[in-house]
Amino acid sequence: MSSIRERAREPLSEKTTRVLVIVLFSILVVIAIYPIIWLVINSFKSNVELFTNSMGLPKTLRWANYERAWRFGIARYMVNSVVVTAATTFLVALLSTMAAYALSRFRFRGQGVLLYIVLGGLMLAPEVSLIPLFRILVVLRIYNTYFAMILPIMAFGIPFTTFLIRAYMLGLPKDFEEAAVIDGANALGIFRHVIVPLSRPIIASAALLQAMHVWNEFMFSLTFIESDRLKTLPIGIMAFSSTLDTNWPVVIAGLVMTAVPMIVLFLLTQRAFIRGLTAGGVKG
Amino acid sequence: MVRRWFTGRTIIPLLFLAPAIIALLIFVYLPVVENFYYSLFRWSAIDPTLRFVGLENYRRLLSDPIVLRSVINNVLYAVISVAFQVYLALVLAAILESGVISRRLAAFFRSALFLPSVLAITVIGVTWKLMYSPEIGVINQVLRAIGLGSLARPWLGLENTAIYAIIGVSQWQWTGYMMILFIVAIQAIPRELFESATIDGANRIQQFFHITVPSVRETTLVNLAVTVIGAFKVFDIVWVMTGGGPNHASEVLGNYMYRVGFRNDEMGYASAVAALIFVITFILTFIQLRIGRTGKEA
Amino acid sequence: MRVPKGIRWFAVGLLSLALLAGCSGGSGSGSKAGETITLRFFHKWPEPDHMAYYNAVIQKWEKEHPNIKIEMEAVSDEAYKDKIRVLMAGNNVPDIYFSWAGEFAWKFARAGQALDLTDAFMNSDWKDAVVNSAVQPYVWDGKVYGIPMRINGKFMVYNKKVFNDLGLQPPKTWDEFLEVCETIKQAGIVPIAFGNEFPWAASHYVGDLNAKLVPPEVRQADYLLEADPETLFTDPGYVEALRRFKELNDKGYFNEGPNAIGHDMARSNFLVGNTAMIYVELEEFVTVHEEMGDENVGFFRLPSNPGDRGDPNVLTGAPDGFMIYSKTPHPEEAIAFLKFLVSEENGKEYVRQLGIPSAAVGAVTEETSFPLLEAGLQEVDKASGMALWLDTDINIKVIEVYLPGLQAVLTGSKTPEQVMQEVRDQALKVQQELKAGS
Repeated sequence: MSSIRERAREPLSEKTTRVLVIVLFSILVVIAIYPIIWLVINSFKSNVELFTNSMGLPKTLRWANYERAWRFGIARYMVNSVVVTAATTFLVALLSTMAAYALSRFRFRGQGVLLYIVLGGLMLAPEVSLIPLFRILVVLRIYNTYFAMILPIMAFGIPFTTFLIRAYMLGLPKDFEEAAVIDGANALGIFRHVIVPLSRPIIASAALLQAMHVWNEFMFSLTFIESDRLKTLPIGIMAFSSTLDTNWPVVIAGLVMTAVPMIVLFLLTQRAFIRGLTAGGVKG
Repeated sequence: MVRRWFTGRTIIPLLFLAPAIIALLIFVYLPVVENFYYSLFRWSAIDPTLRFVGLENYRRLLSDPIVLRSVINNVLYAVISVAFQVYLALVLAAILESGVISRRLAAFFRSALFLPSVLAITVIGVTWKLMYSPEIGVINQVLRAIGLGSLARPWLGLENTAIYAIIGVSQWQWTGYMMILFIVAIQAIPRELFESATIDGANRIQQFFHITVPSVRETTLVNLAVTVIGAFKVFDIVWVMTGGGPNHASEVLGNYMYRVGFRNDEMGYASAVAALIFVITFILTFIQLRIGRTGKEA
Repeated sequence: MRVPKGIRWFAVGLLSLALLAGCSGGSGSGSKAGETITLRFFHKWPEPDHMAYYNAVIQKWEKEHPNIKIEMEAVSDEAYKDKIRVLMAGNNVPDIYFSWAGEFAWKFARAGQALDLTDAFMNSDWKDAVVNSAVQPYVWDGKVYGIPMRINGKFMVYNKKVFNDLGLQPPKTWDEFLEVCETIKQAGIVPIAFGNEFPWAASHYVGDLNAKLVPPEVRQADYLLEADPETLFTDPGYVEALRRFKELNDKGYFNEGPNAIGHDMARSNFLVGNTAMIYVELEEFVTVHEEMGDENVGFFRLPSNPGDRGDPNVLTGAPDGFMIYSKTPHPEEAIAFLKFLVSEENGKEYVRQLGIPSAAVGAVTEETSFPLLEAGLQEVDKASGMALWLDTDINIKVIEVYLPGLQAVLTGSKTPEQVMQEVRDQALKVQQELKAGS
């Protein structure tokens, strides 16, 4: 891109554009990040301070707020969220990749119908299934277990993920497959050693999208889980904020603790994410 | 051709497909059918005996002012979300990728704007409730500080501002995320297209409309669909921030369905509301698939 | 491979963990006699101090009854309203569950989800261990279906310093109350802290006003939807009640934007001294006691004017208690646990640890409670009757029209007359549904 010498030769309009762009984005960044900063600042205050001076800095750093929030359950909720997210994402990636493979690298009778069945799930809002699903989970005896969240969320994640992966697989060249067949590989072998490695970028980004969706999932987790020890973060935080309502800074400390891991994780993996997409995503 | 070799061995692809299909049938399709069935009855959580009422729930649906209010709110949600999460996001993505600012700065902005979307929905909901709080909230305090104190108000407590306040938070949450999706798509455009256009004398804005926009058409359509359908499925953020109030001013279909079923003891009617959500999202997805089909099945 | 190997194994490991945890997550209550029985106990107090109390009670119980284990779950007030219905819809009802008194409890009784406790209660010493007037709201069709755990009343608590500085006395009539508010407002202080994000807060005000402005028999008949359809919810007292409530808001006596603030946030505002008064329940006295000190606050009942047609001595409040699932496989054990819970010994601990009046006889003593609480309880005793919380005292379908109507009255989008008309229309509809047996 532009080197320093090129920039020095720039016309003034180019410089002004750059300044304007930087100003614009800086404002956006402030809007994006300020609430988080506000949370951190206020998590260290006492209740009185929060109500009398919410924009200022805290007088002292009340780490006790964090200790209380942690003790009260943040730890447990986070574990639950991680377990459910990892398990669900893994299952969705697995089932969707297999389905995408079948629907893109083969021709067989009934393929069109099955494709519509899978993609049809895209049209369905989870609300529609809420009440009957509830009954089904009770009948299957998995209500109020991890599976009560994992299985329904997974099922609803399959259509979009399959859609993404299949579209990508359709664009893969056939040469590797042909070579593998000549070497005597069967469908499973081709899947494992040819298609999947080639599809890694899209699987990675689809899995990431799915993981974020599961992490944020609210409705199923709210309805299908009753026990506090199984609650995921979104639901646990809600319970948390309504029970500790006489001490808002502690609630805020809890919010900070739930936000920080995801932020750190994102900052660590975003490079891999972007790299995967740009490296593998470019056609040709 | 490889494919020819596998023709006839139908069993193999079916085996690969089976787990996904089974999961979908049990957890997605079966409940949807059951939901329609349940909507023909009146029953409550507390007293689960089913009383057949035919289409009465649907008749009520059509004349329920709260349903109308909810649909209007969902539409508002969709329109505003598309403006921010599709159009604005695309423009922002194009600017960041245009080379006006250095790569590193662009990467920084990218990450910073993406940050809100990694937060759990309840964190966002509770945080913004505090932001909007009339007493200790930042929004009102900033308004007062810059002399616009007359605009300060209880955003979530007034009927004509509540839903907009919520929609605003949703844009805060997702615009950066959508921007990244567009960035990925823009990065796939061959650089030569831009370079030759520059040589031909096209400025950035012309390049945007003639090269960028057409090239990311697929992504745009997908994002459009996801945003609009998401606007009709929305439940969590409204539930956390206002519960649909005040006085149903911020009610949306998902919220109303949950409340009617799990608070008002009217499961049958809730199923009818859910059926309405189904119909709307079905039609929207169908339209999107149709439009997207041209050029997809290459 | 498609994802780095390490992550794959990690995910598989997590999946297995989930499998193990998943299988043991749910539990059924019950096994054969002689083996360990598990009772599921569900309530609406997940706050740490309440949970500590209940855990202690459970520990004591399990020591005396090693073969009866108690599995406890709790969700917060607002969430409980949905949760209990979710559980019933799934036929997954806890053995012992919390219920608000009045209509909320009666609907469970009507639907056959509550165990009839009349025999167990009336024909044993249990009936002497619980304050009988608190049991009344759990009686339906002459039978006892629930047992109260604690007593509650609603009072207007005020900051003594503000009152003293302005030379104010607790008002004896509604008009005096308005004057007091005006004086405070003129002095530049917010008179009343009020958080109506969840509209039960407004319903407590209006419920009290209804009791004071509408003749008792008329109000009872209307609430129970037993009144003649011609007169259902037509008494002008209802509209007057809404009008008075609206007046408080229009004159600026409430803080700004009540619909946007939660009750807890309003209370925090009062506790730090930003407002002069707040309408709170007896159970919140302990917070006031801890944060401000008994000497710095006073309280009074919401007053009425001499000409008002309701009962001026009614106090808004209700007991909170538990019911037992009618189809529990272990009725005997469940009853035994409930009896243990609402006993003098545990009641005393309840008052001592949490500062909330227990419904157990002899629980509130000088030793266990604090002056503010005792004074509050005395007022409860003096009242001629209790007006139950409005939002649990009428059929939920009517409430779902009434409560948003209260928010609308505050924002001005509907007039009191409009709201009561809608309430009446909805009540008529529900009345017909009930008559048709559906």
